[in-house]
Formats: sequence, structure tokens, C-alpha cells
Amino acid sequence: MITVRYFAGLKEITGTEQDYLPITSMTVGELIEWASNTYDGFSNAAHSILVAINEEYVQRNKEIQSGDIVAFIPPVSGG
Amino acid sequence: MQDRYSRQSRFNQIGTDGQLKLEKATVAVIGCGALGSAIAETLVRAGVGHLHLVDRDIVEYSNLQRQQLFHEQHAKDMMPKVVAAEQRLREIRSDVQLTLTMDHADGRLLDDLASKSDLLLDATDNFETRLIINDAAHKHRRPWIYGACVGSTGVVFPFIPGESACLSCLLPVLPSFNETCDTVGIIGPAVQTTAALQCVEALKWLTGKREAMMQKVHHFDLWNHSRMDVGISQIKRSNCRTCGEAPVFPALSTEGQTKLTALCGRNTVQVVPDRKRTITFDDAERAGKLANAVVRRTPYFVELLLSEYRLILFENGRLLIHGLHDIQQGRKLYHRLFG
Repeated sequence: MITVRYFAGLKEITGTEQDYLPITSMTVGELIEWASNTYDGFSNAAHSILVAINEEYVQRNKEIQSGDIVAFIPPVSGG
Repeated sequence: MQDRYSRQSRFNQIGTDGQLKLEKATVAVIGCGALGSAIAETLVRAGVGHLHLVDRDIVEYSNLQRQQLFHEQHAKDMMPKVVAAEQRLREIRSDVQLTLTMDHADGRLLDDLASKSDLLLDATDNFETRLIINDAAHKHRRPWIYGACVGSTGVVFPFIPGESACLSCLLPVLPSFNETCDTVGIIGPAVQTTAALQCVEALKWLTGKREAMMQKVHHFDLWNHSRMDVGISQIKRSNCRTCGEAPVFPALSTEGQTKLTALCGRNTVQVVPDRKRTITFDDAERAGKLANAVVRRTPYFVELLLSEYRLILFENGRLLIHGLHDIQQGRKLYHRLFG
């Protein structure tokens, strides 16, 4: 199982803080595609979203394993 | 005045040695809005010797809720932010050395500031300027402290050249759309928390306590008490054009940056975005709705009507802003809408 957590404004798009996916492995890119197909408006954020696995930023081709906690984090630019 | 820094030098990790280092330091604060106000005040009070302040804006009433150096008269007088900040900072501490720049922070300016500062503090409101800070800092091997906030959330990380991945590694693609303070709002405590975290990292660096500095990117959301520290070691790219083996510091050259041109006699400013960034019709529609603009989409363009301005976005990302002729004003509106 993979745990997916949504940070900051992404929670408003998904309407939930986290999801649990009964999957043994997939890439970060595939997980983003799943979220884009599942949640309206997610695809707008998808190409620039930051992704962490177990609290380490990773690139899009990284493989996610069962038991991993994935966080989707929107980039923040205000100031 | 002997007593002025007594409480700070009594703090063991700084001490009198650390205090002397602060008094000899030169720091560039890029941006003098919400984060810049809070950072400048904290560093001036802490006794930092010389501050460079950079900002292109004037004080507006909507700033007063969170930009702590400004008051109503500044907004009424439409005073440049750096000038209003200087007024207040000199009231706080008469012997501070301040160098003001009221201009857009471009590659030439930041290259120069990085060469003469011990540290750069990010208080900007957009990623394009941050990528320029990132390049200037790496070119001159100076640390820079990223800080950003929106809503009740914020993020802070000190980028030290040679020690971690850089902002370009973290953000290989510039977000074409992101939430900004103008579209989704911001609360004062998010600003203050971000600025406080940036300043504590600055104090550590300037007093030589590098080992105490943040190792991971710190994210927080004050509204629901969540925080997260995320490591950055897995995303360093050896071919990064800023921190890789053969750096070229692309953001310091004017090529590739967002270009704004005033179109003569048409009361229009044209924006040609960075090649790394394409604003799609969906992005424009979403940004327009968040800004309460009247949005119209045709197969060829998206039109946004926003107070006295009419914005037309074409498929290749080119944007025309009708209703103004000042490039800085156009840049401000562009960043307000698209971050």
C-alpha cells in the first residue's frame, strides 16, 4: 500500500489530506497521472508539483514501493 | 548604547564574538514587501552592519496588513517601499548602513550584489527572480536563504553553494501557475514565521555557526499545525546549469528570461515568458477566475478583463496587457496573476 499526502493548497483540490493506494509499486510520474485523472483541477498543478518520498524530494522517474509515504507539495512563490 | 546588544550577546551561541561578526556583515535583502520588511527589521535590530535593500514597488494600502515597516502615510504618499523602509529602519537604529535600489532585481544587479554581500536573503514574490538569485549566489559562492509564503503556509531553506542541490535542481520546470498572495491571500503570521526562520538561519551563517543550519527544506502550515522537513540530496543533478559540473548561470544572461516590452503608442505591454515556462489557456482561465476577472476563451486566445486592464493570452504563451504602458506596472500585474 502507498500513502499519498497532499500539502497546502492541494488539499483543497483533492478535498482530502491523504489517500491510500493498494499498489505494490509505480513511478512518481504514474502516481501524478493517477491523481490528475482522479481529481478535477489536479492536472493544472501537476507539471510543477514537488514530490517527496519518505521526506526526501525525488525526481519523476523514481519508483515508489509499497509502504512508502509520498507527499505532493505545491511550489510556493509568495513573499 | 553599550547595552544595546547585551541580550543577544548573552545568548551563548552568539556571544560577543558573534555580535562583532554581525556588526561587520553585509547582507542583501532582495524584495522589501512582507518578508523583506520583517527580515530587514530583525537584522537591523540584531546589529547587522550594512544592508542592501532592493524593491521596485510603492507602498499601497493592501500592504499594511502584513508589511510591518509601512504605515498609512506611506500608502497615502505612494512612497517607494525602499524609501519608506529606510525611514523606519533609521528610526529604529541610527547607525545602520543602508544602500537602497529602487529597481527590478535583474541579473546585472544581483550579480553585483552577490559579489559584495556575505549573504543574500530572498524576500521576492516570484520564481524568476529567485532563479537569478540562485545563479548569482552560486557564481560568487555566497549562500542565499529561500523563503516564501502564501495563505497560512510557508517554506524556508538556506542554499549553500557546494553543499546541496540548488533551486534549479528542485524546480527544473518553472511553475506556469502557482498560488500567489494576490490570488489566494496571506495572513501576517505566515509572513512572520517565514521571515523569522530565514533570519535565524542568517544569524547562524553570519556568526559562523554553519553546523547548526537547517539541513532539510522546511514546510509549515500554521492553520492546521502541520510541518514537514524534506531532504534535498536525491535531486541534485550533475548536469545542472547552476550547480553542476559545468555551470553557465543561465538566469544571469538576459536570454531565456521573461521579456516585457512596451508597445509604442498602443498603451500596451507585451510579455514573452521564459522559454522554460508556458502559460496554457487552462492556467490563464484559472488565474483569471481567482483574480475575479471576466474570463473569455476562444480557440485562439484567452481574454481576461480585470479592472481597467484587458489581457490577451495567445497559445504560444505570449501575453498582451492593454490599458497600461509602464513595463514595471505590467511586470507587477503579470506576477500578481501568474506568480
